[in-house]
Amino acid sequence: MTNAKTRGETIELHGDIWKHIQPGEVVLDAQGITKRYPGGVLANDHIDFKVKAGEIHAILGENGAGKTTLMSILFGLLQPDEGEIYIRGLKVRFRSPEDAIKMGIGMVHQHRKLIPAHSVLENILLGHPRSKGVMKLKEAEEEVAALAKRYGFEIDIRAKVWQLTEGEKQVVEIVKALYRGAKILILDEPTSALTPLETDRLLESIESMTQDALGVVPFITHKLPVVLAISDEVTILRRGRVVDRLKTAEATEQILAQKMVGRPVIFDLQKQPVEPGEPVIQVENLSARNNKGVMALNQVSFTVREGEILGIAGVAGNGQHELAEALFGLRPIEGGRILFLRRDITRASVQERWKLGMGYTPSERTEVGSIPDFSLIENVAMNYYFDARFNHRGLLDYGGLRRLTEQIIDEFDVATPGPDVNIRTLSGGNLQKVILGRVLSRHPKLVIANLPAQGLDVGATEFVQRQLLAAREQKAAVILISEDLDEILSLSDWIAPMYEGEMVDIIPAAEAKKEVIGAMIAGVHQQERES
Amino acid sequence: MLTFLIRSLEAAMIFTFAGLGELVDQRAGILNVGLEGIMLFGATLGFIAAKTTGNYLLGFLVGIGIGALLGLLHGFFSITLGVDQVVSGMGIWIFGFGMTTYIGNPYTGPLGLDQIPAIFGVSPFVYLAVIMVVLVWFVLSKTGLGLKIRSVGERPGVAAVSGVSVTRIRYMSVIFGGMMSGFAGAVYALYYNPVWNYNFLMGWGFISLALVFFSMWNSYLLFGGAVLFGLLWQLALNPQMFFPGLASRYIWRMVPFMMTILVLTLISSKWFRSRWGATKPEALGLPYHKE
Amino acid sequence: MTLGGYQVRLQRRVALPGWKAALFSILAVIFGLVLFSIIFLQAGQDPLEIYKQIFSYAFFNSYGLHLTINRFIFLALASFAFIIPAQAGLWNIGMPGQLYLGALAAFGVVYFAGGKSGDLALSAPIIILLMLAASMLAGGAYGAIAGFLKGKWGVNEIVVTMMLNFIAFYLVAFMIKDGGPFMNLGGRGESFELPEAARAPMTGGFPITLWIVFILTILLQVLFSRMSLGYQIRAFGKSPLAARYAGIKPFVIAVLVFTLGGAIAGLAGYHYFAAVPGVYKIARTYGYFGDLSFYGIICGLISLGNPIAALFIALLFGGLSIGGRYAQGKLHLGFGVDYALMGMLMISLVAFQFFYNYQILITKKERALDVDVSD
Repeated sequence: MTNAKTRGETIELHGDIWKHIQPGEVVLDAQGITKRYPGGVLANDHIDFKVKAGEIHAILGENGAGKTTLMSILFGLLQPDEGEIYIRGLKVRFRSPEDAIKMGIGMVHQHRKLIPAHSVLENILLGHPRSKGVMKLKEAEEEVAALAKRYGFEIDIRAKVWQLTEGEKQVVEIVKALYRGAKILILDEPTSALTPLETDRLLESIESMTQDALGVVPFITHKLPVVLAISDEVTILRRGRVVDRLKTAEATEQILAQKMVGRPVIFDLQKQPVEPGEPVIQVENLSARNNKGVMALNQVSFTVREGEILGIAGVAGNGQHELAEALFGLRPIEGGRILFLRRDITRASVQERWKLGMGYTPSERTEVGSIPDFSLIENVAMNYYFDARFNHRGLLDYGGLRRLTEQIIDEFDVATPGPDVNIRTLSGGNLQKVILGRVLSRHPKLVIANLPAQGLDVGATEFVQRQLLAAREQKAAVILISEDLDEILSLSDWIAPMYEGEMVDIIPAAEAKKEVIGAMIAGVHQQERES
Repeated sequence: MLTFLIRSLEAAMIFTFAGLGELVDQRAGILNVGLEGIMLFGATLGFIAAKTTGNYLLGFLVGIGIGALLGLLHGFFSITLGVDQVVSGMGIWIFGFGMTTYIGNPYTGPLGLDQIPAIFGVSPFVYLAVIMVVLVWFVLSKTGLGLKIRSVGERPGVAAVSGVSVTRIRYMSVIFGGMMSGFAGAVYALYYNPVWNYNFLMGWGFISLALVFFSMWNSYLLFGGAVLFGLLWQLALNPQMFFPGLASRYIWRMVPFMMTILVLTLISSKWFRSRWGATKPEALGLPYHKE
Repeated sequence: MTLGGYQVRLQRRVALPGWKAALFSILAVIFGLVLFSIIFLQAGQDPLEIYKQIFSYAFFNSYGLHLTINRFIFLALASFAFIIPAQAGLWNIGMPGQLYLGALAAFGVVYFAGGKSGDLALSAPIIILLMLAASMLAGGAYGAIAGFLKGKWGVNEIVVTMMLNFIAFYLVAFMIKDGGPFMNLGGRGESFELPEAARAPMTGGFPITLWIVFILTILLQVLFSRMSLGYQIRAFGKSPLAARYAGIKPFVIAVLVFTLGGAIAGLAGYHYFAAVPGVYKIARTYGYFGDLSFYGIICGLISLGNPIAALFIALLFGGLSIGGRYAQGKLHLGFGVDYALMGMLMISLVAFQFFYNYQILITKKERALDVDVSD
């Protein structure tokens, strides 16, 4: 920090700087923030924006628009190449999050920045002055409890974080930031992992916080309703630049979407009617445990037929992941039976499942779905090393694999210098295209797509979704696991909401309502709602 | 019999010193499989320093010092240069093994100093080991520093955004680990087995490493395991005390090594694994790259 | 960091071309040799002069060359024993144990054929073939223990193979000392000598193990670059999770690579104790020979798992360690110069790992021109 040479001074400064705040006063002023990445990519190009006391200032943009970079700069995780940040008129420079925290900036991360193995209190205390020397757990516990009470949060301070739900974790993060004295709160996609109910509750709390003259800056991707519901002002980013800044009261969903993407958005995918055929996969009472040894999948049964998409809706951690892995033989099952094309494959190995015509695109694309240090050709070989077309008496036909890879690059419109580069060099969208292309090139009878569009930009998302629809038209059965209800609603023929390892129901998509599904994945049963 | 028990405790204290260092290391997310190399260096240079000057204290200080340097080196490789931690650890082991063979050879033979006196019949280092066990437990679970160390080993990215310097904490831990290993080596060469010989450490570093896995990163369990292996080692050296005439002495010498494999296999059992998996530092062995 | 008008930055590599990787490996060896010259400087000698002597003794002196080639065979086999599991991401540091077992099995064949004291019950070719097979089987089975434990329960293979080394070390002691079955009746704590007929045949002045090394090099090259099995091993090594997803069986891979690696290490044991002229027995100092196989780790790492590259590096290291021994005698240096060389090479190699992961970018302050100085 330019104005403070030692740590002691910084803390004093922090005390002074936040006195006598008037509502509506500019508390955070970022001017001309510019960040260039190696290779010349301009992630932030002279971004200006101001946050006023007591207001919620949303920053909206697609993946890759520069939100993460901007946020990291405001929190001291990255240093800008150009530009200045002023807090209440005082010029500051953050070299680390520590500096930012001391100036009253708090951050709530999208991918929860909490330590699952530690208790809530330990998480809140990490890096806090209260934890200097021997930790003063008692005092801290009382203070945190008081703080939580003030904003109406309910948290069990002694619980371990891994025991909490996503919504509770979010609360812990907010309390952590507030306990460290945050006056300006940066929220990164605050609702992305929450159920609609949890979202409503969170938005209420955020609004109550602004009454203490806090500035709140949520960074949001495409959750337009959230922007409209809570923010006072919105800044829209596209390709690292501010494209517009407007009062939320003057905005509509359509306007925001158009400015964010830069072209009119069509929200509907054309879905051809397909006559469902024979059952492809029949699952009976399937149960499995999660990595912690807890039952995470409980007696799940369903059938998917040719030309059908079964959409599995749910908030992360409700058994969808375990279901996908159990179906594909990657997770031991505790009970139940799986029939594939009327044949019992419950005990079949993963390789046999590939050979029989099952295909799986995992959600962990870099850890499981691909081998980053292998070339595209070698990554394509993951699905073909056992295939008689490319494996001649133990020798691999690398020439044939090269032709196949080139074909996939062509058909799936993969942006790459060629099939020989390491797949690590590809962007997220292109990586997913290769994985999907590789799996679909086997013409599987069943495709299990686990979060196929998560984290992709609009163009790639649309492409991936169209490919799944195309597979359906070719009479494949598709199991689509997604946390995005809109995606589920627009692609599926049947919708199965999951909650705590159980399938709440299986509903024909034509009869499904978003609110009903939203309540089901939040654990609210329809009967209870009606009574 | 009493001598047998005392010798067992004395062996245990060496496992404990080395193991505690590695435990703190691993709690901070750094795996150092080169323990054996650091111990060899601590033992050999400590031995040479004490033998040439006749000063025990100097011997221990040299042992701790070289341990700190090698810990720093492992930190430099694995934290700053981003080298795979196993590769770096293996490098330090072979470096230690190769260099000490050459450096120590002219000093082959006994130390030739008076034995360090015992307190109430037991080596003073045994008491020190117990104190260190309690101290490491206290720091790790009750202090802010311990919280930082554990956080850095679980989720370095989280620690960083909470205002903790991951690099600093990891360097501190890895240097502490090196000092403890170097000290353990010096205690071995200056007290437990004061006769320098080719590769005279006999894999104690690797056994200590196994004990850390066994301990589930808890210093008390580590001490328990160390005592168990101390007893086992003495039994292997003196089988005639309990089983006179049973099997060749060479067969008995295999026993501690077999037990190490057995213990490692045991902790992979389902019962152990579910607990083990929960306590294992999540970021163990993974490099941390600032985003 | 800023130096003058330039900004120096580190950047993670996304990809490393093969020729660059090879260049870094060569630089690592050179740097290791520079480090090693400290020992000569300390002895008051000119390192360049000494290196000249080392190389001319190791490669251009007929006596030295024979020693070099024999050690080269040993190191190449040890490297292969390391490389196969390493390609699957697993660490085999159990070459000493595996080669002791290989040697014991080979001597066991002779022992049971009555070769310890009297005439052999079988003809020479059969004995030799049986010895080769037995050494591979025993080494492979011993290696398979670590592979089985790793594949079945995920037991740390580094500690297991190291422990197996000590167990095998004492097993050899049991067999050749204190009245063990293989003990030399002369009783100096070594094994009986192999009868003439059980010694490895020589071709062109070198034992047949040299040809075995060449054949293995080709087989391994084909395995890793052409075969489906080699692909599966490499895929598992790069990402066990992705490999499992692709239907590769982790247990099979773990057992297989350790069995193959152990079998080759067993051959190394056969070579040093049953094929090197002038030895033909398990010597009292077998421990030193066993530990020498750790060179295989360095060799395997520097060659980045490429069998052909490993061959050349094993030849270089073989010459260096033989020449080092020679210099040790000439300069009256302490015992273990070849071990010190091993340590220096290893630490240099580790330091150079950095260049595989990062590149140094130097940018002139005004212009955004990136120069990769590591080119």
